[in-house]
Amino acid sequence: MTEDEKLSLLKTILLTDEREYADTISKKITILEETLRERHKLAEKVSPIIQSELVKFSEQIPEKLGPVITETLRMQIANSKDEVVEALYPILGMMIKKFIANEIKVLSEKIEQTTKDAFSIQSLKRKLFASFTGVKENEMVLNELANAQIEQIFIIEKGSGILLGSYSKKATVDEDMLSGMLTAIKAFVEDAFKGETQNLTGIEYDLYEIHLQNLHTYYMATAISGTFTESHENELERFNYAVSEKINKQQLLKNKTELEFLLKKNYEKMNLFKAQ
Amino acid sequence: MISKKIVIVGHFGVGKSSLIKRFVEDVFIDDYKVTIGVHILKKTVKTSDKEINLIIWDTEGAESVEELLPAYLLGTHGFIFVCDVTRPKTFENLQEQLDLLSTFNKLAPILTVGNKSDLLPKGTIHEAKEAMPFLDVLTSAKDGKNVQRLFEKMAKLIIS
Repeated sequence: MTEDEKLSLLKTILLTDEREYADTISKKITILEETLRERHKLAEKVSPIIQSELVKFSEQIPEKLGPVITETLRMQIANSKDEVVEALYPILGMMIKKFIANEIKVLSEKIEQTTKDAFSIQSLKRKLFASFTGVKENEMVLNELANAQIEQIFIIEKGSGILLGSYSKKATVDEDMLSGMLTAIKAFVEDAFKGETQNLTGIEYDLYEIHLQNLHTYYMATAISGTFTESHENELERFNYAVSEKINKQQLLKNKTELEFLLKKNYEKMNLFKAQ
Repeated sequence: MISKKIVIVGHFGVGKSSLIKRFVEDVFIDDYKVTIGVHILKKTVKTSDKEINLIIWDTEGAESVEELLPAYLLGTHGFIFVCDVTRPKTFENLQEQLDLLSTFNKLAPILTVGNKSDLLPKGTIHEAKEAMPFLDVLTSAKDGKNVQRLFEKMAKLIIS
């Protein structure tokens, strides 16, 4: 055996196992490459893992991401209030519209019921009253259902805004300060619109209306809840004038105790509808 | 109890709102917030024989009384004109301003006040008072000096 043959034999002995092993590895790499290259094969392997991780992740969302989302939303709302309001406005508008539509439906049902009940004593009374006074019967029905209530009445000195006397069904904010602010608002509006000879006659807010009736040295501010209709306003003004006459006749403007007693006596049980 | 309307007027930043806050709530907030329009507060003051309900109208700062809404000044029982002792501009044309206030109620007493006396160098208040004889009272809304006295004085003037 020559030297070359000996060397070749030695190589065969030493490298045969290694080559077989390398071949196996190479085959495995080829399979892996195919798996990675071909989507459906990769999906077969990876999908179950992703699926299980997703289930785990979604279970942890409230706990892990909840506070982060809340904080982000809070900051986002704080930083862009206008945009949020802008976005919510139509939604709220629709809700309010729906609510009002529903309320009108309820009201019309009540009117229908009242009209159906045409021969009740109440209805006959209404018809009789309508024929004598000329007030339309449907307006009277509306007034009955409107449920306008006098909540507070203030007698306020013009100019100074000093409260001369008041009557409230329930205690509210400081009445002296309220009278001052009402006078300031009144003065501001009257000045802003240059209405030297005209007066602010009412302020509306939410379900309340403040009716302002001007007299010579003072004005009467009446807070009313419920639906305050045109005929209620006429009636209230008539009633206020009558009370004002009593105030002037008895010279009560400088006697707060007596004035408040008179207001309580007149307004405590006053019902705008019944007063008609 | 009788109620009386007091109107506080003066330039921007002289401490009108701080004076009222010190008097009504006995606090001082070192945070300047501009008064817009008018702000109304009240406090009862006891004079020797009577209790009087002061309805205090805190007006927005104005360089002249003419800039204020006249309706805010109508029916006033007492005016307080506030100046800043460290800013002479705030008491320039003082007499002219007081005359304008008088046109709204000739009988209403007017007190002129030099506020921020705490900013004067220590021991110079007496000298400052002598240098500014046109001011009735020197006050400090910050440390409360003379604030109570100012309103009590006004209550007495109104009653008398």
